[in-house]
Amino acid sequence: MYRIRFHGRGGQGMKTAGRILGSTFFLAGFEVQDAPRYGAERRGAPIFAYVRASKTPIFERGIITRPDLIIVADDHLPAIPGAGVLVGAGEQTVFLIHSNEKAALWKERLNLQGQVFTLPVLTDSELRFRGAACAGGAAALLEELNIDLLVEAVQEELAPLGSVLVEANCTIARAAYNALVEHRGAAHEGGPVSATEYTPPNWLTLPCDAPLLSAPAIHAPATSELTQTGLWRSEHPLIDTSRCNRCWWICSTFCPEGAIQVDAARRPHIDYAHCKGCMVCLAQCPTHAITAIPEEEAAAQGESP
Amino acid sequence: MNRKLLTGNGAAAWGARLARIDYLPAFPITPQTEIIETIGNWIDNDALECRMVTMESEHSMLTAAGAAAVTGVRVFTATSSQGLLYATEMLYTVAGWRVPLVLVNVSRGISSPITLEPDHNDVLAMRDCGFLQLHCATCQEVLDNMLIAYRLAEHPLIRLPVLVNLDGFYLSFTREPVQIPSQAEVDRFLPPFSAGSIRFRGGESLSEGVAVLEGSAYSYFRYEAHLASLQGLAVYEELGLEFGELFGRQYTTLECYRSEDAEIVFVMIGSFATKGKEAVDRLREAGAKVGLVRPRLLRPFPVSALRTALAGKKGVAVIDQNLSLGKGGILLTELSSALYGIPGAPPILAGFVGGLGGRNISNEEFFEIHKVVQRGVATGVCPAPQLLYTDEELRALRKMQSVARAAKTNRGGGA
Amino acid sequence: MSETTYQRLKDLPAYHILGTGTPMCAGCGGLATLHEVYDILGEKCVIVNAAGCMTLLSVYPCTPFRGSWLYTAMACAPAGAQGVRDGLDILKKKGRLSQEEDLEVVVLTGDGSAYGMGLSATSGAMDRELDFLYLCYDNEGYGNTGQQFSAATPHAARTATSKGSLGYPGYKKDLFAIWAAHRPSYVATVVAAEPLDLARKIEAAGKLSGPRLILALSPCPTGWEYEPSATVEIGKLAVQTGIWPLKEYVDGKVTHTKIPHPRLPVREYLKAQGRFHHLFAPRENRGLIAEIQARVDRYWQEVL
Repeated sequence: MYRIRFHGRGGQGMKTAGRILGSTFFLAGFEVQDAPRYGAERRGAPIFAYVRASKTPIFERGIITRPDLIIVADDHLPAIPGAGVLVGAGEQTVFLIHSNEKAALWKERLNLQGQVFTLPVLTDSELRFRGAACAGGAAALLEELNIDLLVEAVQEELAPLGSVLVEANCTIARAAYNALVEHRGAAHEGGPVSATEYTPPNWLTLPCDAPLLSAPAIHAPATSELTQTGLWRSEHPLIDTSRCNRCWWICSTFCPEGAIQVDAARRPHIDYAHCKGCMVCLAQCPTHAITAIPEEEAAAQGESP
Repeated sequence: MNRKLLTGNGAAAWGARLARIDYLPAFPITPQTEIIETIGNWIDNDALECRMVTMESEHSMLTAAGAAAVTGVRVFTATSSQGLLYATEMLYTVAGWRVPLVLVNVSRGISSPITLEPDHNDVLAMRDCGFLQLHCATCQEVLDNMLIAYRLAEHPLIRLPVLVNLDGFYLSFTREPVQIPSQAEVDRFLPPFSAGSIRFRGGESLSEGVAVLEGSAYSYFRYEAHLASLQGLAVYEELGLEFGELFGRQYTTLECYRSEDAEIVFVMIGSFATKGKEAVDRLREAGAKVGLVRPRLLRPFPVSALRTALAGKKGVAVIDQNLSLGKGGILLTELSSALYGIPGAPPILAGFVGGLGGRNISNEEFFEIHKVVQRGVATGVCPAPQLLYTDEELRALRKMQSVARAAKTNRGGGA
Repeated sequence: MSETTYQRLKDLPAYHILGTGTPMCAGCGGLATLHEVYDILGEKCVIVNAAGCMTLLSVYPCTPFRGSWLYTAMACAPAGAQGVRDGLDILKKKGRLSQEEDLEVVVLTGDGSAYGMGLSATSGAMDRELDFLYLCYDNEGYGNTGQQFSAATPHAARTATSKGSLGYPGYKKDLFAIWAAHRPSYVATVVAAEPLDLARKIEAAGKLSGPRLILALSPCPTGWEYEPSATVEIGKLAVQTGIWPLKEYVDGKVTHTKIPHPRLPVREYLKAQGRFHHLFAPRENRGLIAEIQARVDRYWQEVL
């Protein structure tokens, strides 16, 4: 059985990617299971989708813990622990990431044992087709799939968007497929789980804890600040202090997150650990003192948390 | 000594009064209304210091009850039947908050068809929500168990709401002599509620009822509430003993009536169990070795006590005053799972459904139940489930059906 | 509002007390409202919540609140507020709670609960003259489940359950009038994009007791389909086009606190949002746009 996981952020089309690949497998005569998975987090937060495909009926269900292929739509995700990009990755796992950096670099950086491939980061105008690109790249690495089935699946899955958008998605999916087709067959079906050689679960007898502990109540203030929502950001706002005229009541009040603090000298500061990159501050700054640079550029300059 | 004739509703009201409840969100519904009217009168006449608020629904009533309990006050509320079902969502929710309060349910059959007469389908529909359930057989037991219920709910290991159940009409509107303990005596048994960590206060942080979006943590919280509920068995035994020492009326999780040397045992809950006891006495006089076992707690379910009480019996008749459509009696199912695979489990476990919508169960029917189980014991074949319903009843019903049909055919011809 | 602390924008709080790190969408207009409101109210309150987007503010073990929070269910947040208020009052009366420990009880719900499922509980709380503040973040649809239409959805908006060429066939329910008909202490509309107006109204509401509603239009980038950075701009356009009148009700009288002059055409507001895209493409639906404009015009003719 193939066990494949797509990682991205809310709004990046990972559900679509999973569905396109699922349909491609289905058209190729496979039994298929595909599903997205997301929690409370919203647009911008890490999510994943997964696809199982097999020539025999699939009884497994739920999250894939031993993936044969991982596709990453956004090269900031591997650094986010909560994204779980590397969960279960082993020797058999092929890793495909949208990145302008070299595959070898990712292999080393993430200490990956399996093969690593990259697809170039999409241009701004192509970003909305990211799901199709991920599906196309994944399909290219699988022996049993081909470009015709892929295109048919894109057309089927995205039909409600209208022919113009369907064609644009097909173009992106084809390009991703063609960029990787020389590695066709790189990803292999993983085997079943052994019923004899396995690590037994350490079941216990749950103690009866006092209600102070065992009720789902929080007895501490503002614990949400432990969550680094700054990791949702793909664009990095910067305040040019020379142009800031300290009308903090605009940017600081309008920031929906409350992530712009004002210091004693009445200067605003962005809390990058929590700024989600909505860019309301940039849009509202009367002196245009706030600009945005791509997050990777900011990271390179040591600007990120 | 203050012994008075009280209805079951009156006994519930006295229980609340003696428990010195702080807060009563209310909503009227038959046959419960008398409880809140009685307490309302006491409040109006300064006999009780309590805030009573009539809400716009039972759903809101339970919400206000639970929310007030989070501030750390002692809360009481009461409902019945449709009202209990309307509040279902909040019974689960409030139990999940792990706050103590006492809810009286006056059992009444559920719509459709709508009825005013009692059976246990309302309260048993709340079996799984996390409220502990105490089922009363007499008006005295209602008052006494109200007091025990607060101790249970507020117990530091439990901290769960408790539902005290009494049967509509057979208890709610039926007067019996009830010993009303003095306030001073009750204060010794039930001191003021100390909320501890449950409190909304300025200058403190408490987020209550928060979401848990992950199966593992959710499992923990739910199972902890289950474990807390299970503590209720031992705690009830302790409290029942303590109550007995103070008031002379001792309570245990099971009432075992002449069951020790019995070969055949009736198992039932609620006020109809006293009818069962009457039948046991008559059967005993006739030489039958028969007894009755009545769980006072349905949640937590006294599994171990039941196993002990029923071990070695030849036959058990479960008389269910409820019906799980598509399955049968609920108590039968509960008991089967408790006894399965246990050494000495009674070989014959027979189910009888009776008393639906307040239908009487006669002495003769108890005698016949005994005979059916006896036959099962002799042949080794477990009798099929039996609805207590007679030929006379069906004939009377057929008459009603003919009227119901005739109304249509007569339309053209006038009255 | 002459006695307000908030004369100018620079009088607004420079320190924000609602915790960051919540799972709300980037650019959430509802979160913007809440953080502005929380700054003015202060942390000495208990927020009683009904099912909606903001239920996910408190996900174990994280909460952005420094004060208290109670999640109830979708239909009954005002009933929860009743229980908390009564409980606190009982404790005060019995000397078990000091004045300093007392809390303002604040209901926080979306429009799904405020306009629909929770309306019975809301009406009941007003009947009982409950002393509470009700903050509704109105994002004009069931946002938490993917923006299906609610009773607060504006005419012609496309939602997940009104995807036809004419969008939502119904009209936005007038919750302000429903509240005012109960003759409560205070009713006001606000939008986070007008923070000074909002701050003054929260301040005014805070000085009153009894039932008080703050109805906040809460632009939603996800459900209304616009870039998160445009949240404030959309909110301002709602006011400038007259679609969202800023007003308050006190002592039986309604006052408009910001009268747009000149009023921008509603199309400016509509065309900025994907949910109205079908009014402009593939063909402009002039009739429907004119109908929306006419309703807004009629409103202002009647009130001015």
